Amino acid sequence: MTTANTSEPFSETRIVTRRLHERPDDSWTIDGALASGAYDSLRQVLAQGDPSAVQAEATASGLRGRGGANFSTGQKWSFLPKDTFPRYLVVNGDEGEPSTFKDRMLLERDPHQLLEGIVIASYAIQCNLAFIYVRGEFALGHDRLMRAIADARAKGFIGKDIQGSGFDLDVVVHRGAGAYICGEETALLESLEGERGMPRLKPPFPAIEGLYAKPTVVNNVETLSTLPHIVRMGGEEYAKLGMARSTGTRVCALSGHVKRPGNYEVEFGCTFRDIIFGLGGGIRDDNALKFFLPGGASFQWLVEEHLDEPYDMDHAAQKLGTSLGSGAVMVFDETTDPVRVAWRLAKFYSHESCGKCTPCREGTGWVEKILYRILHGYASPEDFEMVCDVADNISPNFMAAPFNQTTLCPLGPSVASPIASLAKYYRDEIIERIAAQQAEVPA
Amino acid sequence: MGRFSGFLVTARQMFKPRLTTEYPEQVREYPARRHGRHVLNRYEDGMEKCIGCELCAGICPARCIYVRGADNPPDDPVSPGERYGFVYEINYLRCIHCDLCVEACPTEAITETKLFEFSWNNRNDSIYTKDQLLVDDDGHPRKQPWEAWAPGQDENLSEWVRATSPSGMAEYEGRVSWSGDLGHGVRDPGPTQAELDGREEID
Amino acid sequence: MTTGQAQTDTELVTLTIDGREVQARKGELLIKVAQENGVYIPRFCWHERMEPVGMCRMCLVQVDGMRGFPPACTTPVAEGMVAHTDTEPVKKIQDGVLEFLLINHPLDCPVCDRGGECPLQDQTLAFGPGESRFTEEKRHFEKPIPLSGLVLLDRERCIQCGRCTRFAEEIAGDPLIDFGERSDRMQVVTFPDEPFSSYFSGNTVQICPVGALLSKPYRFKARPWDLSTSETTCTTCAVGCRGALQSSSNRLLRLLGVDLDAVNQGWLCDKGRYGYEWVHADERVLEPSVRVRNAMVDVSWPEALEAVANELQRAIELHGPSSVAVLGGARGSNEDAYAWVRLAKGVIGTDNVDAQLGDGLPADAVLGLPRAEIDDLDQAAAIVLLGPDLKEELPVLYLRVKQAAVSKKVPLLDLAPVDVGLTPYATAVSRTVPGEEGVAAERLVAAIGGRASGDAGIDAFAAAATGRSGPVVVVLGRGSVAQSAAPTMRAAAAFAALPNVRFLSALRRGNVHGALDLGLAPGFLPGRVTLDAGRGWFAPIWQTVPKERGLDAEGILRAAADGKVRVLVLLGADPVADFPDTDLARRAIDGAGYVVAVDAFLSESTRRADAFLPCTVWGEKAGTTTNLEGRVQRLGRKVSPEGTTMDDWRIAGELAVRLGNDFDLEFVDEVTDEIATVAPAHAGARSQLLRRSRDGVVLPVREHLHEIMVRTGDLNIMAEDGPAVSWDPIRVDAAEPSEEGDAAHEVDEARGEAERLEREAPAHHEWDRAANVGDAPGRDAYALRLVSGRELYDGGRITTCSPSLAPLRKDSALMVHPQDLARIGVEEGTQVRVTSSRATVTLPVRTHPSVPAGTARLPFTADGRGASELIDTTTMVTDLRVETIS
Repeated sequence: MTTANTSEPFSETRIVTRRLHERPDDSWTIDGALASGAYDSLRQVLAQGDPSAVQAEATASGLRGRGGANFSTGQKWSFLPKDTFPRYLVVNGDEGEPSTFKDRMLLERDPHQLLEGIVIASYAIQCNLAFIYVRGEFALGHDRLMRAIADARAKGFIGKDIQGSGFDLDVVVHRGAGAYICGEETALLESLEGERGMPRLKPPFPAIEGLYAKPTVVNNVETLSTLPHIVRMGGEEYAKLGMARSTGTRVCALSGHVKRPGNYEVEFGCTFRDIIFGLGGGIRDDNALKFFLPGGASFQWLVEEHLDEPYDMDHAAQKLGTSLGSGAVMVFDETTDPVRVAWRLAKFYSHESCGKCTPCREGTGWVEKILYRILHGYASPEDFEMVCDVADNISPNFMAAPFNQTTLCPLGPSVASPIASLAKYYRDEIIERIAAQQAEVPA
Repeated sequence: MGRFSGFLVTARQMFKPRLTTEYPEQVREYPARRHGRHVLNRYEDGMEKCIGCELCAGICPARCIYVRGADNPPDDPVSPGERYGFVYEINYLRCIHCDLCVEACPTEAITETKLFEFSWNNRNDSIYTKDQLLVDDDGHPRKQPWEAWAPGQDENLSEWVRATSPSGMAEYEGRVSWSGDLGHGVRDPGPTQAELDGREEID
Repeated sequence: MTTGQAQTDTELVTLTIDGREVQARKGELLIKVAQENGVYIPRFCWHERMEPVGMCRMCLVQVDGMRGFPPACTTPVAEGMVAHTDTEPVKKIQDGVLEFLLINHPLDCPVCDRGGECPLQDQTLAFGPGESRFTEEKRHFEKPIPLSGLVLLDRERCIQCGRCTRFAEEIAGDPLIDFGERSDRMQVVTFPDEPFSSYFSGNTVQICPVGALLSKPYRFKARPWDLSTSETTCTTCAVGCRGALQSSSNRLLRLLGVDLDAVNQGWLCDKGRYGYEWVHADERVLEPSVRVRNAMVDVSWPEALEAVANELQRAIELHGPSSVAVLGGARGSNEDAYAWVRLAKGVIGTDNVDAQLGDGLPADAVLGLPRAEIDDLDQAAAIVLLGPDLKEELPVLYLRVKQAAVSKKVPLLDLAPVDVGLTPYATAVSRTVPGEEGVAAERLVAAIGGRASGDAGIDAFAAAATGRSGPVVVVLGRGSVAQSAAPTMRAAAAFAALPNVRFLSALRRGNVHGALDLGLAPGFLPGRVTLDAGRGWFAPIWQTVPKERGLDAEGILRAAADGKVRVLVLLGADPVADFPDTDLARRAIDGAGYVVAVDAFLSESTRRADAFLPCTVWGEKAGTTTNLEGRVQRLGRKVSPEGTTMDDWRIAGELAVRLGNDFDLEFVDEVTDEIATVAPAHAGARSQLLRRSRDGVVLPVREHLHEIMVRTGDLNIMAEDGPAVSWDPIRVDAAEPSEEGDAAHEVDEARGEAERLEREAPAHHEWDRAANVGDAPGRDAYALRLVSGRELYDGGRITTCSPSLAPLRKDSALMVHPQDLARIGVEEGTQVRVTSSRATVTLPVRTHPSVPAGTARLPFTADGRGASELIDTTTMVTDLRVETIS
């Protein structure tokens, strides 16, 4: 099985992460940022003076949300009702997905790039107040962001009459209190309003009735960090990167049993092999690959046969039945017990379920308990079928993608993904294992 | 001969074994699942099993049971849990011994003995109160002055319900599924229906 | 809002549910449309009177063209929609959701108060899996913890549907409970050290779909199958909420709110809900007694009646009819009021009769002002509040006004003298100086007329109301019982000039409107006619009619104190507790020659009675009542009275016989029918009609016949088979009377009767506003003006004799503005000496920023202490001097 542990050397395509690689010592300071071209795109936009042109560039670039839902950014902006003011931009920096740490790096190492993106986006949608919801645990990121806001304000990139353009924008930073669900956009809005972080009913979508019941755009940190580069390069030019409808680059958070884990910015269209072997240096101790999570914890796993599939959002969704999600790739080698991984993920979802809707509130906990029993030898042979059926009750027809849900938000179905992966790749293994455990127990 | 033919029947019967028993001097053996008067059982630790849920009163076709529940005093609980039977009365002028109350009871608090010989000359005595129904400290029914007991009738009070519970399904026959009784511990489940019928086991 | 009922309009759409084509109003929710068409979609979190949230996921369905499984409770119907509620995938989801709900739900149904009427039980049976596959340990919490003095929470049983938390925030406006914790540990919590002390907390118990929220008074009292139910009307206050009264073994055990769309919409206040306990109070007087040599001696009814009749006879013969006075009657039924009016005015011939105790409004205003219905609030152009705190005195009317202001966005102006429960929802607030209400009213009239009023709040309100259609509804009452009714009347005179203005009189006693309508007020005869106008009509029907207008409550008490009243009848009245001036009331009782108490309890007043005739109370008697909008509704008789108590109307009839006039009334329905025949406003409101009409009838009957809905079913709490309904709006099915239906006969008869009386009987009284102008009183700069209103849990009998409510009484203290406290020069909570022109009392003083400077608030506690010692009824307002005790 070790034959797969080889790959051509592969290199990153650094756009969003260029500055923090080029200036490792001061990329987060205003001086370091300005020295490497920060806010040039903003000046260009303000000089041009046409918000709709920015929107057009964003649409032309084919940029899709980097938070996990992969929705077209330009289209999202266009849903805002005309002439309804005030409207808000909310930046989702509540990066809570297991194994995902790309926004954290962007916040800590390049806050000015994000701020520039925020001002450009706000200008494009003509809002005068932006909120940044930062995950509470990002202490350093928060500090650097606050510092960056103060510096940008001092330099006139934020505040009244930005760079003499007559455009005003104020930025408010809010720190989360440690709830995974607040990364879901409507729960994030609830939390921002001071309510309990629980998802809202959709419709109405945030673009119509969002924060404080006003039209609101919620964008991810990486999405907004990409904007200055789209302006700089031009939307058409940016769209040439990547493949098909997955344009541009993606910061991929590689973790797990690889030799060199870390954030790598790759162009869409490369293969998983390029990421795991080309950039990550292969599996630790040159072990065989068992499986990997292609997009955070919430989507179905892939195995060795998928290594040469292209890293493309639509391909993953339509052909592989999974998603590139938050851009995290988690790798597990042959020493891993897949049931243990599934149990640990279920435990996470059970702990983080907000409690609003029944299938998620009760189902995640139940799945966790059954997996625990399978893991520790207290299960009966029917239990694996049962856990599959429970997953099916949370996410009807749970083996198929895109997933259905009986829940309010996608948190519930996320717990069905590990079960579906177990059922897809390891069903026989697990049933044998339970039978073996049963044999050990005296009747 | 015609007028003597009637005596022939008598003469023939005279030499056959007698079927009549000299009740009450002699008491014949009653069926194991005879329905007599009720008892209220207690757990091994002395707690009452009745939780005052009134399901027996609700199901009773003769409307002869009157129950009222109350909050268990936390420092001196009468039964496990929140609620206990505060009032429990059965009117034996009405009771038809159908045993639906026993079927309905979720805690096997009420079961029937085989005791059926009781008579009174006062309507008030016909209403058995909780004190009279509750088993004594040895787990035996409390004998009322107007009751006649034959040996063994006060034994195996909850046998019948144990043999079939829960929900009277055949696969539970012979299985004890409940906690023990005061003075008796966990009782034997008693004979199964098949054994009583003298048949092979139900499969 | 976008998905809620707000979008509903009248456009009809056609859709298909489970293959059946149905019609519905566009925007209506699928779950409701399905139910109305016989398809029950299971649900837990959805309640028709609240915004949908889609939390429980029980009502997921399939809709052609929509991806996945939309919840029926958040999906508005649209033209051509094809919905499926019983497909295999939907059934699997229903099984799954119920299994999820049950994995952590304890199966302690036998000891659960909800067991037997539990929506979770019912829906599990109908839609759920037969068995659970969950073998792990269930979630455990400490068994019931108190959320408040009335509501217990069993967190193990909670299915986190959020009905209670949403009710508290959306409906009651008391967001004192919310969810805490996450995932399956999520639980309803109160704020630390702040109980769920909402006046509406009992409603959360009624709408809870499991036994998680429990009523402390009802806990373990009965199981659902041994309750029997009667429909009734709550008489705790004058709103007239519809309720389902339940009893077991001749004890009242529970009152559930019935959804009467026009009045309470399913909600009850806690005082009404739990106030039934006083019916069985140990303090009830159950046998008649008369005073023999300074001691009360139990006697038989004939002896007691004979004694009273003899006293009456002697008083009439020696001192004339006007030496007899009757106080009270606002607590009984319409039939009681009518029989006593007929006895007093038609047999004895006295007009010294008053149902109010000097704490209400003049009868000629209440009877003569154009009336609003409660439902007018929702469609009003504007609502003006001038009166007491509705949350304290008429709680369910508070809910309706709040709903109008919040959900229907009707502009609301708060003119109360201090902050009230509705202040947070008011469009504009203008604090009136107590006694100067007329000035505020005149300003409002000016502002609505387009002139600047000089008050920014009033101007803003007038601007908000401009251009809106519908009536202007004025909720009119005494903002303070420490002032006379004159300032309120002056304000009413000003308001009456507004175009399309209607009034809701905020009088609080249960049937005070019924009593006034039937003539328990000086100068009036039954059916809203004045004594002078009605004399010709009633003279041939009754034996006699009073010659001249008599005295009101204050006049009667003054006359009694002067020894001019030979027989004083207290008809469930306790003037010592309720009359604003306690001292006068005491002197009056002492000064009256012979006091007859028709009451259920010994009180400060009835303790001194010479004859005590115990009467039946609510729950024990049938009859009708009239609420503040003039709606006549039936009372339910649920338990047999204990002892030998008698209905008030029957006592009046028995006394009349002994005075030589046989009313010839055998049954309560005959009294109702006599009212419907002789009282002009009630013409046609016969017992048969009232029995058949679902929502009662609004007086005057002839103007409201078109509103009558004929009931087509009975009230059903425990459905024989099918789900229990007490957690969803409890409704009685009804239809408009049809030409052929047998109810058409009753409506026709009512119309005929009403038309006959319109031709023959005198016209209804109309209020003459010209007679109500006057000046505001001057003000002493060093004094604090007293504002005194009731609190919901006051010292009245319902509170003190209901063990569950009695502990909820709050301590009363003199509340002043912080600035005034500084001026007095004492610390918060110190005892101070408070002096009015009437008395000096010692009270603790506290501050509250809602009390305007120059004003002092002191609750009227209805136990003869506090404010009622201080109030001087001879002056228009009561000013207080507050001094330190040295």
